[in-house]
Parts: sequence; structure tokens; C-alpha cells
Amino acid sequence: MQRRTIQNLSLGGFSTPLVFIITILIFWAFSPGHRFLDPRNVAAIAKLTPDLGVVALGIGVLMICGEFDLSIASVLPTCSFIFTQLLMAGVSPFVAFVLLLPIGAVFGLINGLLVVRTGLPSFIITLSTMLFWRGIVYVASGLMPISILPYIPTGSPFAQMLTGQIGPVPVQLLWFLGIALVLGVVLHFGRLGNWIYATGSNQDAARAMGVDVRLVKIVCYMIVGSLCAFAAMMQATRLGSFAATQGIGFELKAIAAVVVGGTSLRGGVGSMVGIALGVFIIQILENGLILLRVPVFGVNTFIGLAVILFVIINNLTNRQLAGQGF
Amino acid sequence: MSATSSANGQELLKMVGIHKYFGRVHALRGVNFSVNRGEVVGLCGDNGAGKSTLIKVASGYHMADAGQIFFEGREVKLRSPKDARALGIETVYQEQALCPHLSIARNIFMGREPTTVLGLLDQSRMNEESMEALASMGLKLRSPHALVSALSGGQRQGVAIARAIHFRAKLVILDEPTIALSVKEVREVLDFVRHLKDQGVAAVFITHTLHHVFSVADRIVVLAHGCNLVDIRTKDTTVDELSDIIARGTLGDAAPTHKPESEAAAAALAQQATCEEDTEAEQEI
Repeated sequence: MQRRTIQNLSLGGFSTPLVFIITILIFWAFSPGHRFLDPRNVAAIAKLTPDLGVVALGIGVLMICGEFDLSIASVLPTCSFIFTQLLMAGVSPFVAFVLLLPIGAVFGLINGLLVVRTGLPSFIITLSTMLFWRGIVYVASGLMPISILPYIPTGSPFAQMLTGQIGPVPVQLLWFLGIALVLGVVLHFGRLGNWIYATGSNQDAARAMGVDVRLVKIVCYMIVGSLCAFAAMMQATRLGSFAATQGIGFELKAIAAVVVGGTSLRGGVGSMVGIALGVFIIQILENGLILLRVPVFGVNTFIGLAVILFVIINNLTNRQLAGQGF
Repeated sequence: MSATSSANGQELLKMVGIHKYFGRVHALRGVNFSVNRGEVVGLCGDNGAGKSTLIKVASGYHMADAGQIFFEGREVKLRSPKDARALGIETVYQEQALCPHLSIARNIFMGREPTTVLGLLDQSRMNEESMEALASMGLKLRSPHALVSALSGGQRQGVAIARAIHFRAKLVILDEPTIALSVKEVREVLDFVRHLKDQGVAAVFITHTLHHVFSVADRIVVLAHGCNLVDIRTKDTTVDELSDIIARGTLGDAAPTHKPESEAAAAALAQQATCEEDTEAEQEI
């Protein structure tokens, strides 16, 4: 059993938990007055992380099956816009919520069909759909924010459901952990998960062994789409508004988080625990660097350096594990 | 020729007069091929002889443009690999056979995973049955959790074959199973084929290396230019004789002196004549 646990972890980059702890220790030690672990700062991280995090969980699953999705950066604000329009049309937020999840899945379905039908690299396909939806949402919204506070007042049941608090714990964090748990069970203990890994590991072999790799990819894209819709509503509710700039930069940050979490860019390797930790590491970096008084616009420089460093560490430790043989 | 009449209980797979075109290329020109129950047949021939094409027809990847396929005496249409697998024909492709990042157990059960009442993978059953399947091949591996990427080339072939027989394959097609393997690994793979035979599973063994196939095959079929060239029992010929024939691509003087005993062999030799005419006719055009 011991050996098996180690192997399951090693699938997702053995060093990720270590990096996670070290990152926290560094920021705790060096932030002025150890402010990094101040309860208010921790609460802020717990509230902000799930916006990107929920989408990144889906991106992680998709990357394990060997594909990318850059279009999340535009699907997210598009979903947010549709959500706002439904609210303005008098639809109850709960009904809009239930409608939005399949609508998000349709965006994913379009990506998935384009990828499996054309056989083109998903990087190119989803770059194109990102530009396409970005243009649509800019024109449709006129780039103007739309307040949703009249429909979802602060403290209303719907706001409580997505952005409230249970005791000291922000609900966003619970949603994030819950979704990670469900996806983790599907990925590591379900048949679909087995097919996702196989598709990313060796597509031809998976097909020869009877796995419908096209369907697997489409399902993964639909999961990402639904999670985009979810994150869009959660973020809009937190902001009290639709903003055309929602989700900008998520496409690359999500990939960074997933890769830091030990997922291979070539597919077939990764774990849900690693992906979830990767999301926190990216968010903690951003938060910690700002506490260290790094100029806000310079934070990306450090994140870039950190991602390269993490991936090098991950590769080294993975190679060592593989070298030991099993 | 009435194929059904010769379909006795012994005949597992029978392919009659198979033609296959790729655009203007006539890849198979009326090939006959058969495998009996529990028989190991070596399929040889130079590059471009039609070995792979014939096998892809038998495993459902390509559909024949003409000809009939019988399995266990009944005529079948193989439209996809799924059709072939449903009949009990499993194909093991060299290199492409397994997913390297996944464990042995997950590979063996890929696409046919057993689940618990909760709909989750029944991992303990997968692990136990994988180890049993490997043991039945004489393959001792430390753990069903080991990743396929950590295995040698020979062991990977063993896992792929174990996968096939675990799902009650009646015929296992091995596409160049010994290519790019070390001498020790080749010996392992040949042992796997003997284990297959011991369990009553028939096998088709495709190879360029006659020495490999001679040590395990009951019968050897040689193709040349998309036609049958030789169909002979291993004990009735020698490596030298066959390699000579393959090199020249025709029977010529080196034709085996024995009389073909099986009906299929006779048919194969008869077919040879029509094939050559066909070739000449095309050359005139």
C-alpha cells in the first residue's frame, strides 16, 4: 500500500507539496510583520484563488488528456455576459445558474468538435475561438460594466451560495475543494479518468484498445466550459458586476498553475492534488510578492521566473523517481 | 471454390481471395490465408509484400475490396477493429500497443475496466487478475502498479499479449513483435508465443526474421507482391530454402519439393499462377 501511495503522488509531480510548503514558509518569513499568514490575508487568498482555480482544475484534466484551451479567457466573460442578460430579463439567479452550466458546456463542445474534426493543434483552435468570443463579448457589451447588484443584492441567498461564508471559511474555497474532489475521484478512480490518462499518454494505443479518444477529448472540453460558466458567475457575484475584462490572462495563468502542479505539457501525467496545489502556489506567489512590496505590475516577472524554476525541480525529482525503477 | 465446405471444426480464420486497393496500388491480389485452432502461423515476406495489409484486413482496420472472410466456419464482415475484437481476434501492434504513463493493470483493462457498485474502478480485481494473466504468460513482474514505461521491450510485449488472452482472444495477431528487441527479449517474446499455444490460443506472427518464426510457428505463409507465394509446414522446409524464396520473390527452382497436404496450401499454389498473370497484364497496360 505504501508503495502504491507514493506512485500515485509521483504521477502528479512528487515535489509539488514540498514546493507548496516552502513557498508558504518563505513568504511567512519575509513578509513585513509576517503579514502573509495574517488571518485577513489568508481569507483574501481563499476568496480570490477559486476564480482562477475552478477553471484551472478543468484545464488540468484537459491537459492530462493532451489538449489545451486558451479560449477560457473569453468564454468566461461571455458566460458572465449571458448570465447578466438573463438576470436583466427577469430570470431568477438560481434558474440562470442552472442554465449557464450547460451553456458553458456548449462553448466547450464547440472547441472539442473543432479540435477532433480538424485534427489541428488545440493551441491554434482555441486561440482562434478565444479571439472570436472576445470580439463578440466586447461588441455585445460595448465594454461597459453592468451592475448585477439590483438582481443579486449582497447577502442575498444566491450571493451566499457562491460568495458567502461558513464560519470563517469562504464558500468559494469550499466550492473549489468540492469540485477538485469530484474531478479527482473521476480522474483517479473512474473509467473516464483511465481513458483521459490513456488518451494523453498514447492516443493511438488508447484507440487501438477500444477507447473513444475523440469523445474523451470532447467531454474534457465540455467540463472546462462548464467550469468557466461557474467561475464567471462566482466572480461576477463577488464583484457585483459583469466586466468585459473578466478572465483576461486566465488562459496562461491556468496553464502555469497546472504545470507547476506537476502536469506534463505532453499529456498523460498529472494529479488532481498536484493541480489544486499548483493553483494555490500561483496565487500565493502573486499575493506574497505584493506583500513583499514588489510593484504590482512587476509581479509577473517573478511568477515567470518561479514557473521555470518549479518545472525544473519537478522534472528533476520525477526523473530520480523513475530512475529508481519500481 | 466452396470455402464453407472446407470449414471443419479445426479452421478458425479463413480468408479467401482477398483483394485490396489503395488508390491505383493493388496491394492484395486475391490472397488466401487460414489459421487453425491453436495453430501458430508465421507470416513472412519482403517489404511491400502485403503482410501488414492482410493483417489489417483481418483485424478490421481495412475492409477488403473483394473476397470472403470466415471465422469459426461462418462468413463475417469486419468493418472495424471492434468487430474483430468481438469475434476474438486481438491484434498486438509493436510500440503502439500500450500507454507508457499508466500502470500495467490499467493497461491490461483499458477500455474494459471492471467497476464496483459505486461505478468506480474495481482496482483490487484489476490488480489480481493482471498478475494472474501475466503469470499465465510466464511473466514475473513485481507489481501490477508498475508503470509500463519502466518495462523492457520484451516485457511490454508480454503485457500486451496477456491483455489479449485475458479477454479470451481466440486468435492473437502479433505485428513484428521481435523488431528492435535485444536477443534476450526476443527469447522472452518467443516464450510468450509458446505460452499462447499451450493455452490453445492461435497466433499469427509477422516477422522479417525467419529464425524467430521458425522456432515457434507450425506453418509459414510467405507473400510476395500481394500474392501467396508459399504456404508450408515449418517441419517440411528450412530457413535457407525460405529465405532464398523470399529474396527472389518467386518459387523458381527452389520450390519446396513436398506435395501440399492441406487444401488451403493447394489453393495457395494454384492462386500463385493467377497472380502472376495479373501482374503481367498490368505491366502491359
